[in-house]
Amino acid sequence: MDVFGSFALVLAFICAVYAFVGGIAAILTRHPLLIKSTRQAGIATCCLIFLATLSLEYLFFSDNFSVAYVVAHSNRDLSSFYKIAALWSGQEGSLLFWSCLLAVYVFSVLIAYRNKNGELMPYVGVVMAGVQIFFLTLNNFVASPFKALAVPGANGAMDLVARADGNGLTPLLQYPEMVIHPPNLYSGYTGFTIPFAFALGALLARYPGEKWIHLTRKWTMIAWMFQSMGILLGAHWAYAVLGWGGYWGWDPVENASLLPWLTGTAFLHSVMMQEKRGMMKVWNVWLVFCTFLLCILGTMLTRSGVVSSVHAFAQSSIGTWFLGFLGIIIVVCLGAYLKNRDYLKSENQLDSVVSRESSFLFNNLLFLVACIAILSGTLFPVFSEWITGDRISVGAPFFNKVNIPIGLLLLFLTGVGPLLAWRKTSGESLKRNFGWPLMIGLVAGAVAFAFGFRAFYSLVCLILCVFVASTIGMEFFRGAKVIRARGGASLVASAIDLTMRNTRRYGGYIVHMGMVLVFIGLSGAAFNRDVQKEMQLGQTMQIGPYSLLLQAVDTKPEKNYTAERMIVEVLQNNKQIMMLYPEKRRFATTTENGTMVAIYSTLKEDLYVVYAGQSPDTQLPVIHAFLNPLVKWIWFGGVVVVFGTLVALLPNRRAVLVLAGAPQPASQQLAHGLTPTVTMRGNRE
Amino acid sequence: MNRIRRLAGIAVLAVFAILPLLTTPIDAQQLSDRAKQIGGKFMCMCGCSQVLTQCNHVGCTTSAGMLKELNQSLDRGGSEDAITQMFVQEFGTKVYAEPPKSGFSLVAWAMPSVYLVFGTVLVVFVISRWRKRPTPTAPSGVNTPQVSPDLLERARAQAARETED
Repeated sequence: MDVFGSFALVLAFICAVYAFVGGIAAILTRHPLLIKSTRQAGIATCCLIFLATLSLEYLFFSDNFSVAYVVAHSNRDLSSFYKIAALWSGQEGSLLFWSCLLAVYVFSVLIAYRNKNGELMPYVGVVMAGVQIFFLTLNNFVASPFKALAVPGANGAMDLVARADGNGLTPLLQYPEMVIHPPNLYSGYTGFTIPFAFALGALLARYPGEKWIHLTRKWTMIAWMFQSMGILLGAHWAYAVLGWGGYWGWDPVENASLLPWLTGTAFLHSVMMQEKRGMMKVWNVWLVFCTFLLCILGTMLTRSGVVSSVHAFAQSSIGTWFLGFLGIIIVVCLGAYLKNRDYLKSENQLDSVVSRESSFLFNNLLFLVACIAILSGTLFPVFSEWITGDRISVGAPFFNKVNIPIGLLLLFLTGVGPLLAWRKTSGESLKRNFGWPLMIGLVAGAVAFAFGFRAFYSLVCLILCVFVASTIGMEFFRGAKVIRARGGASLVASAIDLTMRNTRRYGGYIVHMGMVLVFIGLSGAAFNRDVQKEMQLGQTMQIGPYSLLLQAVDTKPEKNYTAERMIVEVLQNNKQIMMLYPEKRRFATTTENGTMVAIYSTLKEDLYVVYAGQSPDTQLPVIHAFLNPLVKWIWFGGVVVVFGTLVALLPNRRAVLVLAGAPQPASQQLAHGLTPTVTMRGNRE
Repeated sequence: MNRIRRLAGIAVLAVFAILPLLTTPIDAQQLSDRAKQIGGKFMCMCGCSQVLTQCNHVGCTTSAGMLKELNQSLDRGGSEDAITQMFVQEFGTKVYAEPPKSGFSLVAWAMPSVYLVFGTVLVVFVISRWRKRPTPTAPSGVNTPQVSPDLLERARAQAARETED
């Protein structure tokens, strides 16, 4: 099966090269048969990559320990669940998995548009094939996952061998999110290839800017959604496994995943400027280019060892390949832009500074500043070593100081932006839209301050969260009220109806609401606290309102590891709330240990208990307990973000004509507080 | 209608006003813990990229030793500067959790502000330029496209003809 996998990869590479070269020939000759055959070659490339991926999975499930990658990342006792995940647990397999996910996207695009966009698709196909060629080069010639296990023989030559068992999967990776986090994150990274291919393809085909935007919107949103899910799942994984009580450590690999998310988010906002006003066409093209470049850069950082990270793969020379690919992309993008930039002519004209357009500009500015600040902070140790000879670390305190103010400004714009009208917003409209939310936010802040909520950033964050939530709530309320007046349905049913009539707009609001919940969760970090204590059996320790009673420490043999487990009773006001079982896992195949944190999670706070091992002096078990307020809001906010994105991906139920056919004249409705802004936007969108 | 609006406002206010009550303010005594405060300024040198006081992941053998050194130094009455010197001598400048605000490291601190100021100036400039344009199609100096409006319109029509969403 390893030979079959290798062969499939080689064939895939040949097909991809044909799709690329034949695609260029097809563009030049416009020969219909050539166009068709290159598309078929693209589909064949994808199918062959799927086969190669399946064959590697088969090698894991059949415990074929004659393949080096299987030996390094699996063993006989590894559960089937983790044998699936072992595919992406190492450099070679994860690169194949990357190719596989990219193939899913490419296959979907080639099938979805097989009878559409005939003139544009050869360009898109060539770009997609170009990206596939790069990854297939790595899969075939640089980091093949199908290499046979070989050891130096007596005569100096390498002898092929098979081992009885493998080394097993790294303990840190043996956690359920290993199965879902990387696929989500990789789906985000690879997904941005599609908008990139359409943007570059459209530019090469000399299409004026607006067209590719419509074609790629849903692909961009899908990639963005997966990237968001991947980032949040990664944060949750770090929270539950690493045992340091936090979810985001500004590690270079974490930062690498955030960079394309930031530019992708900026693009999803600025794209509206292009759709509504025909503005920022050049900017949008470059935002998509940069997002894709940052995906590749992020992958390079994870895999090359340029920056040190607990998440990174082993240091290797693969970074040079990525650097070369980055260089090629930059040259191609720059060349295409310089040659055809005149086709991206914008109708840039603004009536007022206080307008939706301005808010989008500032929104993009903040996303970009955050992105560049994180990128420069991440790479600063490398630059400082080049320039001064000393490697200066840039850790979480720096990133927090720089990014918290930017994040709060973005949160403010989340509330302000959607309520500003296109072109110009009047003072009256500002007062009407922001008066109540601002007042509610400030009163909430004052109440919070009075009750001892004194951490500056958290207080500002709380005020802004209330403000933004109020603006979103008011938007839903106003729209639903109009529908209720027409149909007589309940307010909730009217709000659902409203959302389904304009899924993009109201789905976007739901995403914003999800981000508000995430920010509420983040604001709790200022109030984290922890206690570490050596414990005797029957002894209790106190953290916040909770008493932790150590009842026992036992060992529990499992198939692949032995768990050393604490049995901890959690009491509040002398009443038992629940039992927690934090444990350390000792794996048979490795000297590394794993940990399973026990978490009692409520909306108010997380009680996070880590079995921190035995004290070297007294041999007593040590509990490290954390009280982390509001963490659950982050995960819940993530779910809301994904839900909102899915809503935004749905087609509108019917044309949005909120005011048309209303029983009252529009003027009368306006007198009842319906703003002209709502009327206009409702009709236009 | 005003009453409904007021009630909705009060409901939202009530929900969010309760939020801070649900959180527990940090113990002032914990914040003044000197070892934690100083330890928060250094990285754990095990390669986990975490701040020293936050690194306790399983398998880390370095943070315990570093914290012990820190505690011993504090017990001897060592100042923050002395402890910083001790760690820098032992591990090099990569031990800093954030770049020191001196020498070349100042660049790291200055850059985000530079980006923000430069970006803001750029946005303000772009907005003022856009505001000055009388009509969307008016020619505008250096940015005047080399492609004629006719050709652009033909390209637009072609794109519309050749593509569908």
